Amino acid sequence: MNILLEIMLATPFIGGLLAFIGGKVHRWVRFAVAVTFSFLTLIEAFVYYNVTIKGVVWGSLFGSKLILQTNPISWLFLFIVTAMSFLIVIFSIGDMEEDRIKLDSYYMQLLFVEGAMIGIVLAGDLITFFMFWEIMSWTSYFLIIYGGKKSVAAGYKYIIMSIIGAYSMFIAIAMLYVKAHSLVYADVATTLAHSSATFVVWTVVLLGIGFFVKAAIMPLHTWLPDAHSEAPSPVSPLLSGVLIKMGAYGLFIVLYGFLSVQLAGNIMPSVFSTPILLYIIQWLAALSIVLATFLAIMQEDAKRLLAYSSISQIGYVVLGIATGTSLGVAGGLFHALNHAIFKGLLFLAVGAVIYRTGTRNLSDLGGLVKKMPYTFTALLLGIIALAGVPPLNGFVSKWMIYEALLQKKEVFLLIMAFIGSTGAFLYVYRLIHSIFLGQLPKKYENVKDVPILMQVPIWVLAVSTIIFGIFPGLAMNVIVKGMKLFGFKPIAYTLFGFPQGTAMGALKVINISAVLAIAFVAAWVLFLILSKSRKVSQYDNYAAGQVVTPELKYNYSFGFYMSFGRVIKSILKLGIERIYNYWVDAAKIFGDYYMRRVYTGNLETYNSYIVIVVTIAAAAILLGGKLW
Amino acid sequence: MVKMILIAIVAPLLAFAIGLSFMMIKRKFVARIQRRYGPTIIQPIFDIMKLLLKEDNISHGIIFSLGPIIAIAGSILSVFFIPIAGLNMLTGSGDLIALLYIMAIGSLGMALGAGDSANPNASIGISRALTLMFGYDLPLVIIVISVALQYHTTDLSAIVAAQANGHWALWSLPLSAIVGFVVTYGALGEHPFDIITAPHEVATGPMVEYGGKHLGFLMINHAFHLYVEIALFVDLFLGGASNIFIFYIKMFAVFFIMMMFDEVLPRFKIDDAVRFFWKWPTVVALISLIIVLVK
Repeated sequence: MNILLEIMLATPFIGGLLAFIGGKVHRWVRFAVAVTFSFLTLIEAFVYYNVTIKGVVWGSLFGSKLILQTNPISWLFLFIVTAMSFLIVIFSIGDMEEDRIKLDSYYMQLLFVEGAMIGIVLAGDLITFFMFWEIMSWTSYFLIIYGGKKSVAAGYKYIIMSIIGAYSMFIAIAMLYVKAHSLVYADVATTLAHSSATFVVWTVVLLGIGFFVKAAIMPLHTWLPDAHSEAPSPVSPLLSGVLIKMGAYGLFIVLYGFLSVQLAGNIMPSVFSTPILLYIIQWLAALSIVLATFLAIMQEDAKRLLAYSSISQIGYVVLGIATGTSLGVAGGLFHALNHAIFKGLLFLAVGAVIYRTGTRNLSDLGGLVKKMPYTFTALLLGIIALAGVPPLNGFVSKWMIYEALLQKKEVFLLIMAFIGSTGAFLYVYRLIHSIFLGQLPKKYENVKDVPILMQVPIWVLAVSTIIFGIFPGLAMNVIVKGMKLFGFKPIAYTLFGFPQGTAMGALKVINISAVLAIAFVAAWVLFLILSKSRKVSQYDNYAAGQVVTPELKYNYSFGFYMSFGRVIKSILKLGIERIYNYWVDAAKIFGDYYMRRVYTGNLETYNSYIVIVVTIAAAAILLGGKLW
Repeated sequence: MVKMILIAIVAPLLAFAIGLSFMMIKRKFVARIQRRYGPTIIQPIFDIMKLLLKEDNISHGIIFSLGPIIAIAGSILSVFFIPIAGLNMLTGSGDLIALLYIMAIGSLGMALGAGDSANPNASIGISRALTLMFGYDLPLVIIVISVALQYHTTDLSAIVAAQANGHWALWSLPLSAIVGFVVTYGALGEHPFDIITAPHEVATGPMVEYGGKHLGFLMINHAFHLYVEIALFVDLFLGGASNIFIFYIKMFAVFFIMMMFDEVLPRFKIDDAVRFFWKWPTVVALISLIIVLVK
């Protein structure tokens, strides 16, 4: 059975190569291979449901063993990765147009990213982890730049920030290697337990920079809005739903696999009974939640809006994980799963709209509910889940995070978490309103709903938002069991929610949804009894005496929250990106004005450098290796 | 079981009746302030009946029609989570924090329906409603946190029980109670916060295209909305009540004070309303929260 771990890791890589070769034969061979292998991986992942396997050695490097392992927490992320990848491969078949670009390597990269992420969650040592981390960064970079001209610049930004993060991680790993001579997780944990506080803090901060770049926690988020919005439609859900979760997973491993709350509490002061390092992470996450929400509200581009929303939602994940209590960490991990589901759904649904209309500019769209009713319904479920409204899944995980913060009396963070959720109402309504409600522009009168191949992944995710919302116990089964391995006290839960005593109040989502359904049916029946309504066209509308015609643009869509923008004007002016750009400019000036004097591009100058260096070197040798 | 079904039927009807009675009283009260005689006291019932029984109803689409239905379903759901006169109903299935989000279901339905009416006035109305909601939500969550910390629970029935025998949160958390009143007032969208409907600007906003039975449903929903917001305030700060009459008297007292403000104030600009909520109510609520934390 243990050999399967290696097979599972290899499956997507083999699938990727075969898809590439198969594409040379015929495109349907490529599709078949990609679908088969991503499905195989998903099946193989289910073998490990709630299984813990420690230490399958698959090689060694620098005298450190390379290890694969799995536990329920890894499985949670494994499930996110494999399930989402499978759905995205199916969606890609419908969405990616063949004639525009060659797609053989697209499917290869797609499966390679999947394989790399599987490697990350199965890694049992830091070398394996880092190796797959780098493969993930590079392959996802190639996926991003499939999106056309603008995406190249976005991808460039992404890969540069990823490299900065990777270097920072690399330094931390090197530090650990020098100290521990082994990078297996267990050895790292023992080393850290006997290290000074300074060493621990440096290690966590350096690793954390790598994770925070990937998870796009402010102030390291600047790559995300560009990359996630410019990437092709099927890649955005992979980036937003899955890839940024790797940062959260890494953070979880470092905080609770290597360290523990008790250990961290022993070596550093505590605030609100939280070690200060965790407390700072909580604040960064909370700031991400609020600021990204404000920015999302002001966006005019559907995918950019969702990208900022991802920064905000990953903030909840990190905030939950950094609380350090059983309830909070479980909430954070559950939110990682939920966010993958609803953000994947939203990006795919918006991708479907782009597929049919060719634009993602919110003010160009409108009224599509009559043309694309299935996509509308799915997107509606997605935004309800995102806004954290019961009975869908986003509500339960956010509720857990709120309760955990309330239990710890971390009121200011809690206020920020609440505000981010209320703000989410604003931007999700803007999204659904501008695309599907309001007046239908004349040019979209012949738009149809997307083909079945694109509907299926969207609806699988839409149904999942309901399932995990009403039955949070399904996910809690895995999360609670996994957290026990990391030394957390198990929290009490039922299939439908949480009994009294787990949090500060009880929750039973099935009752909420059942009563809502009954109330809905009752109101509906009353509605049907009354006399039937007559359907009128959208031009038969109140316009203060004017006649609405197709030529008149009678829609409120651009600058939807303009008046709110005036309130937060001073916040919107703050730009982290400007600080970074300042440094970029400084580097350019340094290069152009100073380095240009040295690297002139002139052959004679270079020759004279060589002569000078050779002379000095010769002089050094003549003087017996001593210059001074 | 029979008792449960009975409660399930009676509770929403009672909530509706209470809300409707407030609507009736208000029509008359406003008229007298404006030195008019005003309509007969049961005028709102006539209005709702007339609208529901209209023969010609227009609809802009399925979502347009579903909007008012979802709104009412959401409001009825909220009714079950607010303990009234010793009845806890569903408070064991969702606490105060869950209730905050359950109350949003109805607004969401309303927003969707209005959006589908394909009228910019409706869209502007929803944009204003959501902006206003963002405004009053900040002080609202702060006072909710204060109350939860004061009583060490988020279970509404436990909060009500802890306030028995006159130990109202109004006395122990006076500042939060004041903010709670302002927030409830804002959530009801009365002057000066009537920017959502603002008939002179956006032609009643979200309701602009609604008529007939749809509008009748929205009026029913308004009655529920009045009940839910005020009953929540009574439960949080005035200690609920042991029987329905005292509960009604407390609710009426709150509503009466609100009516007095309603008719004498002009209308805020949208951004000024948000700024208002983020300034004084927030500061006062934070002071109250810090007092609870330090205590």
